[in-house]
Amino acid sequence: MSSVRFVFPKVRLAEILKTPGGLTVADALERAEANLEEIRPTCIAELAALLEYAEAALERLAEDFDDAGLADLYAIAVRGIGAGAVCGAPGVDDALTSLCDLIDHLRTTGQYDRPAVGVHVRAWRLLMNPDLPLAGAQPVLDGLRKVSARYAA
Amino acid sequence: MSLDGASRARFNLDKAAVLLLDDTPMGMAILVQIITGLGAKTLYRCTSVEQAREVASTYELDLAIVDGMAPSGLGYDFVRWMRTEAKEPNCYTPVLITTAHTPATDVARARDCGGHIIIKKPIAPKVMLERILWVAKEGRPFLFSGSYVGPDRRFRNDGPPDGVGRRREDLTEKAADAVAAAAAEPQSQPEARAVS
Repeated sequence: MSSVRFVFPKVRLAEILKTPGGLTVADALERAEANLEEIRPTCIAELAALLEYAEAALERLAEDFDDAGLADLYAIAVRGIGAGAVCGAPGVDDALTSLCDLIDHLRTTGQYDRPAVGVHVRAWRLLMNPDLPLAGAQPVLDGLRKVSARYAA
Repeated sequence: MSLDGASRARFNLDKAAVLLLDDTPMGMAILVQIITGLGAKTLYRCTSVEQAREVASTYELDLAIVDGMAPSGLGYDFVRWMRTEAKEPNCYTPVLITTAHTPATDVARARDCGGHIIIKKPIAPKVMLERILWVAKEGRPFLFSGSYVGPDRRFRNDGPPDGVGRRREDLTEKAADAVAAAAAEPQSQPEARAVS
């Protein structure tokens, strides 16, 4: 039987947080949002560059099961998750999450559906459009989730 | 864990030494903007596990925010290293794990590496602050067992599992009535009643 030991460490962070000064919650959140706004143009450029890599990777994706090609696309898509919200295109994060889910399901189960992958990459470009209304994005995202859920184990 | 975003309550991250590990420039930029916005000034920005190990071996850390670094999952390995190899106090440092996506094959690795909590990207500043305040709570034990080293993850008090119950509640309704009746009777008849 393995032994189990409990330790109650002192959490220095707790003491630091309580030291006088600092920020109010409201001010801190406002500052953080303003900081994110500053990097928005850079994020948009980097997300657009990733999209181009993804489109190129999709072009290279074979007609038959292509594990290496799927791994390439996964590695590109996963790097973009989180940037959509900063870029003002939160739907991109959902689409990329759905794409990563799909690729993960396909690689885990050994199934292959190139069009399902393709529709996600095309949706990514559509959702990058800042003029796309939320009401327009929602049905697209619902459709993507249905596609990826089809292959969930 | 919900935080009022308009709260005037104060907190101070000014003196906190924070390690950030993310191998993507965009992920790191987002993290830095959020954490500096929340008031932290001493940031150790690491883009590789090697850098992060160097920092964790050299400086005392008050908080680590570590990306899982999918698809390699090397961020989880770093957290495990921190728990098992780093010297005190860093082996106990609160660790927030961020993840863009966790492949099915990495779920157990993410769960068992010894992080305090996992945050799914995209990360809103409010969520980050909530989680920082949560991991800073004192009194959470660290567990050293054969295969797991890290914070005790049993932080929800859900009571006993279904079907077990506490002893008093284990009794059937009929038996409970019998016990109650027995308790109400005079003490001159102290025999225990049969509980069916």
